[in-house]
Amino acid sequence: MATGFRRSRGAWVAQLDRTERALIVGLMEQTRGLLAPHLVADGPEPQDEFEALVASLREPVGLADAPRDPALERLLPTGHRGDPETAAEFRRLTEEDLRTHKSACLDTAMALIRGARGDKVRVAPEQSQAMLVAINDVRLLLGERLGLRNDDDAALLDAYLASAGDDDPAAYAVAVYDFLGWLQESLVQAMLR
Amino acid sequence: MSLAPTVDPTTVADEALATDPGWVTLVWNDPVNLMSYVTYVFMTYFGYPRGKAEKLMMDVHVKGKAAVSHGSREEMEVDTVAMQGYGLWATFEKDG
Repeated sequence: MATGFRRSRGAWVAQLDRTERALIVGLMEQTRGLLAPHLVADGPEPQDEFEALVASLREPVGLADAPRDPALERLLPTGHRGDPETAAEFRRLTEEDLRTHKSACLDTAMALIRGARGDKVRVAPEQSQAMLVAINDVRLLLGERLGLRNDDDAALLDAYLASAGDDDPAAYAVAVYDFLGWLQESLVQAMLR
Repeated sequence: MSLAPTVDPTTVADEALATDPGWVTLVWNDPVNLMSYVTYVFMTYFGYPRGKAEKLMMDVHVKGKAAVSHGSREEMEVDTVAMQGYGLWATFEKDG
């Protein structure tokens, strides 16, 4: 049973069991692979459980009218709305740095989670921002795959889930999405306190 | 609203070409970013006090977007990519 982040001796500590840690690391690997395919390091093979989850997320699930795979656009959004030339120039100047920054945050977060001792994931103050950004980027990816683009979509998704079967891939993805939101919230709240 | 505290006023004064202050960084509402996280980002990056950060966050949430910083185009481009680095949905544009 997971415990959210709490302050403990100058750091923030969460308790996550092996399955939870493997799930999060697997999703972070996938996010990193999407963001920076040329920077992906060799890691352990993902376990079946999240391989299945990620496979189920290759195409949007949940909402029927979701556009095709815009997750990268959500992680690396346009910088200017209304002027394609300005937007393209801004992207040309910033996108590689953004990919590198986000990949580095994911690497830091994965190292911390893999380094858990006794199910305790310890995040020092200088690592906390990377952990927040990494969890957030996974949530952005999952949210995009679930078709969450505005506040109305969240209500639509709830309605969809109410009528969906337990074996619907969206149900598991939403559970994971909610779990990551809860974990991120616990770290933000602990840091703002 | 004032300039972001990361901006050195003397630097801005020196660079006449970059001094057109009529640009803004906008953050747009989205259903994924947590309200607490958005507040944290505004406090951490801009150095805004909690009250101001929370008001901006609520503006994003309720009105759909908020101008989170004002300054030259170059400064707004820096702020925009920083917000995007945090995962917020940010753009820059000419004010007004």
